[in-house]
Amino acid sequence: MNRALRTKLLIEIGHKEALVMANEIVERYEVQEIQPPRQGLTMIKLRESAKNSLFYIGEVLITETKVKVGNSFGTGIVMEENENLSRALAIIDAAYKENLPETVAWLQLLKDLEQKLQYEMEKVKCSIERTKVHFDTMKI
Amino acid sequence: MGYVAVTGGKEAIEASLQHLSYERVKHGKWIDVETIKATMRGFLDQVMSESSLYSENLAALAMKQSEGNVEEAVFLLRAHRSTLPRLYYSTVTDPRDMFVHRRISASFKDIPGGQILGTSHDYLHRLLDFSLVDETEEEVLQKKADFEEVEVPEESSIPLEKLPKVMDYLRAEGLINEFPVNDEEPDDVTKLSLTFPSSRSERLQILTRGQTGGVVSLGYAGLRGYGSSHPNVGEVRVGLQPIHVQLDGDDEEYYIGSIKLTEVESFIPANVSENGKEVLEFDIGYGACFGQNETKAIAMSILDHALENPENTPIHDEEFVLLHVDTIESTGFISHLKLPHYVTFQSKLEQMRKIKKESEARK
Repeated sequence: MNRALRTKLLIEIGHKEALVMANEIVERYEVQEIQPPRQGLTMIKLRESAKNSLFYIGEVLITETKVKVGNSFGTGIVMEENENLSRALAIIDAAYKENLPETVAWLQLLKDLEQKLQYEMEKVKCSIERTKVHFDTMKI
Repeated sequence: MGYVAVTGGKEAIEASLQHLSYERVKHGKWIDVETIKATMRGFLDQVMSESSLYSENLAALAMKQSEGNVEEAVFLLRAHRSTLPRLYYSTVTDPRDMFVHRRISASFKDIPGGQILGTSHDYLHRLLDFSLVDETEEEVLQKKADFEEVEVPEESSIPLEKLPKVMDYLRAEGLINEFPVNDEEPDDVTKLSLTFPSSRSERLQILTRGQTGGVVSLGYAGLRGYGSSHPNVGEVRVGLQPIHVQLDGDDEEYYIGSIKLTEVESFIPANVSENGKEVLEFDIGYGACFGQNETKAIAMSILDHALENPENTPIHDEEFVLLHVDTIESTGFISHLKLPHYVTFQSKLEQMRKIKKESEARK
């Protein structure tokens, strides 16, 4: 599972799971906080479709944390102010980079989260589909 | 006449600020930030768009602090933004990847995926609902439960997370110019002051963070004869846009969350020269902004097209449009007129008295 999907699952639907996973690492390894959680901005670069060029649509508030586990650095970034989740994501990121054995066991948990996210998205999609217009020809 | 430095007013200002604080609490009522976030969607979307800072929590706090004053809330957020470090730039964010919650076209009836009305005020009668005056928590929870119990299809049939664009229709027919992908790094008006002629990226950045009323008014003026960009709305889409960053030294992207986004593509007829002949094609006017701000995004698409095609009317004049749509610049300048101008006014007054005296003397 790639990092983009992993972070998406933990951010969108797995806050609790992320805290538990990070705690597993904290209990068994030394976790060095390189950059304590801090607020900052990410500028969003958008592709516009008229001329296919790029422009900046604005910034989003994020919380960023950096940690070191073993010889590996990990980064946690999440939108809005959320120190605990940001720190947990950084620890999980470092655990994957360090190839810690715990990450093997996490795969099933992440797959379960993926299924749950798909189920939630499917519910939203089905609800939105009710708002699709069905045109009928009028009899004049 | 020389300037004379004066002091005073410290106690008066302190007392004025006490009055301001009192106004917010004098009825003994309060609203928490979570409630604002949960119930003031339209306000948050407008404020986040105009302040160019996406954070529902901060926008809700700004609303509380400003007592619902949009101008003040945007000022607070722009000021706060300037205190925070910019840590990352996102990777290229393409609204084709949006998880669409609403998508309509005013140009084609039958579009791939269909007309999806989603959530909108457009279909209301705009009559005040007096039942909301005494709405209780119990009623709110009941309404929520009623909605969640409505029967929905068991399986979705529209790929809302990858919905095709309406304009692909016209591109396939060769009725819209195909532009090659341009990955040139955008200019950034928050880092470098605007100079003219402006770049396309600067224009779009200023329009998207422009004051909603300002952008809409100028777009409307463009339709009423002060411009010649008359669009058909090809597509309005609103939904959740995933945002990724790329960390230094890492190959893999990092998902940081999703934002609510409105995107508009307008079709605008244009004469183009092809093999020495004038043929009619469609240009695209582009609009996009944070949150669900459809009128603003449509107006932005009109102004985008107008500024791409300079003419001798105000709406096609980039200085006229770009220097006046920013909330902080326009409200800031107008607002500064309230500040003491004692010396300049006295100077004008003295001149007028002198002229009047001289003209009376001539009589």
